[in-house]
Amino acid sequence: MTAFLPVHATINVFACEPEWAALAEEIGGGKLTIYSATTSMQDPHHIQARPSLIAKARRADLLVCSGAELEIGWLPLLLRKAGNADIRPGQPGNFEAADYVEKQDVPKKLDRSMGDVHAEGNPHIHTRPENILLVADALRQRLSEIDVDNEKHYLSRYEAFEKRWTQLMAGWEEQIKYLQGENIVTHHNYWTYLNSWIGMNVLATLEPVPGVSPSSSHLAKIKKQLSKQKVKMILHVIYVNDRPTQWLSEQTGIPVITLPATVDYQGGQTLPLWFEIVIQQLTSVQ
Amino acid sequence: MMNVGDMADGLDVSILAPAFLAGVIVLLTHIPLGREVVKRGIIFIDLAIAQIAGLGVIIAFQFGWEMHGLEAQIAAVTSALLGAWLLHSIEKKAGEHLEALIGVSFVLAATASILMLAHNPHGSEHIKELLVGQILWVDWSQILIAAVISLIVVFVWFNYKNKIGNIGFYILFAVSITSAVQLIGVYLVFTSLIVPALAAAKYQTKPALVLAGIIGIMGYFSGLIASALFDLPSGAVIVWCLAISALVIPVLSSNLLTNIERQS
Repeated sequence: MTAFLPVHATINVFACEPEWAALAEEIGGGKLTIYSATTSMQDPHHIQARPSLIAKARRADLLVCSGAELEIGWLPLLLRKAGNADIRPGQPGNFEAADYVEKQDVPKKLDRSMGDVHAEGNPHIHTRPENILLVADALRQRLSEIDVDNEKHYLSRYEAFEKRWTQLMAGWEEQIKYLQGENIVTHHNYWTYLNSWIGMNVLATLEPVPGVSPSSSHLAKIKKQLSKQKVKMILHVIYVNDRPTQWLSEQTGIPVITLPATVDYQGGQTLPLWFEIVIQQLTSVQ
Repeated sequence: MMNVGDMADGLDVSILAPAFLAGVIVLLTHIPLGREVVKRGIIFIDLAIAQIAGLGVIIAFQFGWEMHGLEAQIAAVTSALLGAWLLHSIEKKAGEHLEALIGVSFVLAATASILMLAHNPHGSEHIKELLVGQILWVDWSQILIAAVISLIVVFVWFNYKNKIGNIGFYILFAVSITSAVQLIGVYLVFTSLIVPALAAAKYQTKPALVLAGIIGIMGYFSGLIASALFDLPSGAVIVWCLAISALVIPVLSSNLLTNIERQS
């Protein structure tokens, strides 16, 4: 299948999540062939094995993933199956976004009673806009390392993106200012980074420990706790079951806000468009 | 986003061959054992045994064993054997209610796992490893181990079927299921066991095994190709292709089968 080498050979990027595919597009557009292993409607903790996944991983020059153990359920198996030495951990072709940001929810001590926690901290780092810039810069450097010839291309695209994203961020910060200090309830700790960026207080998380469905006593406890405090909204991430959040909303009258988990890359969405929607949804609660 | 290049991508022998081989190894034991299961009318026994094997691992885990590789395997096989012994003892007393009792043991084992893991979600990774093997992830060392187990089981079954008795059947069954589930997952195990055997149930042993074998091999083969062409999860596609093969192949080969039957 490699008989016809394209005239302009491009760098093959294998992104574990669509947000990193979208970021690679921003920085390396035109010089990269990008594939995203998951869609915005999939839970990136678990994916089903398809032949194309292995084929794409075999051919990849650069793997771009969240890291912090988010893909621990499938990526090690995939890398072992693919047998591509360039993208093994520790190689320049293995890029983990979580290495370049300050992580939250890092457990002080790790024991099993704490649930599906990640030893390396919360992996959903893309929900804080500042993190996108930190990862963008690191990704630009990594791309230049792998593909020295196009260093200038990556730098100029990065600079353009950095400028645009910084402007957008200033606008968003203005829009969400009024939410600072408000109380919210979440389902899974997916939006930890977003919440800390805005400065909202997470009063309760519906999952008693990450990855475990709420029991009836846990739900009752939360309901009682909420009756004493003013709560702005219940945050929900699109790919998890919304029945616990709907139940709590009916019981308490607090609105449920469903945020798109990430960029719909396969549907042609970009990072700025996605985050624009997140902000719109958040600010729909007055 | 799909183009021709994407479709051809997955059609790679080095990706599909290990999965196909894993399927053939599972069929080797599951076709003869499946015929027995269908004959005895204990269709859900594999789900019950697999679930009990998973439960065993969780119990060991709750006792604080650090479970990796071999230890988890030992816990799984031990509990599968205990489960097989339990179902064997029930069989004598239950009579016509056997299938119902097997169903109940499946539900009890499955919900016991949920209860034991209620405060310990890390264990869920372990039960997932045991219950939802994915056929595309198999590697050669797993295939080798499964092949050795399959060959031993098949050898004992065809040579000593009448000597090992009822309990012997349950032991062979428990070992095969525990090995197969980790390789290809519980849905494919169930389908490989029941579907070819069911399609061939009306024939005598020899033509039935030939027919079930062809159905099984065609199901895995076409399933893997379809999974590559349409970029779909392999396990689920193979389940459907096995079912379609079971509908189509007996019709196409009915003359051939009557001939085999006349000869034997």
